[in-house]
Amino acid sequence: MAMIEFAHVGKRYGGRFEALADLNFTVQRGEMVFLTGHSGAGKSSVLRLLMALERPSRGRIVVAGHDITSLHVSQIPFYRRQIGVVYQNHRLLFDRSVFDNVALPLIIQGATPQDARRRVHAALDKIGLLHREKALPIELSGGEQQRVGIARAVVNKPAMLLADEPTGNLDPQLSADIMRLFEDFNRIGTTVLLASHDLALIARLRHRVLKLRDGRLIGDEEAA
Amino acid sequence: MSQKPRRRPASNETRRPAPDTDKSRRGARSHQITFESRSRAWRRHHGQMAVDSLQRLRRRPLSSLMTMMAIAIAMVLPASLWLALGSAQLLDSNLDDSARMTLYLNPALSESQAMDITDQVRGERDIASTELITAAAGLESFQQRLGMNDALAMMDNNPLPATILVQPRSRDPKAAQALAERLGKIDGVTDARLDMAWLERLRQLSELGRRVVLAFGVLFALGVLLVVGNTIRLAVESRRQEIEVVTLIGATHAFVRRPFLYVGVWYGLGGGILALILLTLGRGWLSAPIDMLASGFGSHFTLPGIGFGGSVLLLICSTMLGLVGAWIAVSRHLADISPR
Repeated sequence: MAMIEFAHVGKRYGGRFEALADLNFTVQRGEMVFLTGHSGAGKSSVLRLLMALERPSRGRIVVAGHDITSLHVSQIPFYRRQIGVVYQNHRLLFDRSVFDNVALPLIIQGATPQDARRRVHAALDKIGLLHREKALPIELSGGEQQRVGIARAVVNKPAMLLADEPTGNLDPQLSADIMRLFEDFNRIGTTVLLASHDLALIARLRHRVLKLRDGRLIGDEEAA
Repeated sequence: MSQKPRRRPASNETRRPAPDTDKSRRGARSHQITFESRSRAWRRHHGQMAVDSLQRLRRRPLSSLMTMMAIAIAMVLPASLWLALGSAQLLDSNLDDSARMTLYLNPALSESQAMDITDQVRGERDIASTELITAAAGLESFQQRLGMNDALAMMDNNPLPATILVQPRSRDPKAAQALAERLGKIDGVTDARLDMAWLERLRQLSELGRRVVLAFGVLFALGVLLVVGNTIRLAVESRRQEIEVVTLIGATHAFVRRPFLYVGVWYGLGGGILALILLTLGRGWLSAPIDMLASGFGSHFTLPGIGFGGSVLLLICSTMLGLVGAWIAVSRHLADISPR
């Protein structure tokens, strides 16, 4: 069953610049897929469309059976609650603790404080930072900050995890650690779509790779 | 999207990390989200935001106080004008007599005929009271007032007609005019006079007062909206990153707006309370000289206070203005902040 389905998706910015042109691909439930290509190839556009930050100029995007291109503005928040997103700059809030950062999605969804505490602890335990729950993000290293960002993305158990260059600012050893985390979440059934241009890392991990160039799909290699 | 992703059988058997068991528990629970639990979460967030926004104001006491003071000053002027208008109305309700009309009777009528006409007038609609002043009584009071005993005594007969003083029930000049015309047609009444000019002037003055209060009220309400709006705009700007992040992870506009609306409510309420304090202080400051002035004129006029009802109304107005100002500012700026 398809988790993500792009059908003839095109995206133009400002009427002229064509970021994506006739993009077609399908990601199955429980798959882990890399999205790669040079900067400007359209990786970020794909992710932005999947997060419903933008609507495509043409075509249809179906996520878990729902056409997200026709979502009403008022439905978009509820759609976003069901996907987890990890950013290159992790987008943590620096005026609140690690615990509060990770709890944010649960608070937005109206979880009870007890339930939130239990789930935040589970997520922090998974990323190995349970002992730093009271720390401020600024007190953490870059790799630790990124792991907190991942904990926030997975704390409400989304069916789909999107990541935009999650290892962009990290050294190879930390990058490998982070990737292992994504693989762990994928192993328990989460669909993972990961944009990255770290080709060496991608090659080692043996997952399906979608290659973009100038907004077109130029390669779809199944996991070796 | 509410469906759980299919798990790979292989991984289920080989490895079962803690979050996995957790996940299957959650799957069952997420279908039990009831209206009650959702409304409880909603109330909890309201409570948290009310407290959180108050704490944010307390963290910057001086600038919060300055904003509240600006609101208070903008509330005090229309409120004190309103009070002044209220006391003016109090004043003009004491001038009821001025709406009186006078009916002049035919001098040829006898005293008993004049009494009959008085009874007839009393039977008319819209009349509060009547008072007959017979020709003799009229002459007597005329003599007393003017001290012209000798001059009048030289006259053969009383030149004054009997008069009836009529107090109309309505203070509306048009109604009074119509009444005067009707009474003027009664047999034996030669003329019905009404001091229209005075009544009309009084009405125009109080209408002018009302309009001035309304104009100032609207202007200063706009001022409060601008003060709150500008303060909230800065607050929104300073929490821009936070707004972007919570929007990205699925916060609704209502959720994002909520803390700022509470900030607006606290500003409005605080401004209203300060305005009440200013009004009370101002009344204390002015009452001594006004008492002196009033007693100089032999009157017992005192400055009216805003009273309990007025205080509640003022607080409701200022709080609503704070809320509306915040709403406008947040809605305007939320549109600008789309996550990047």
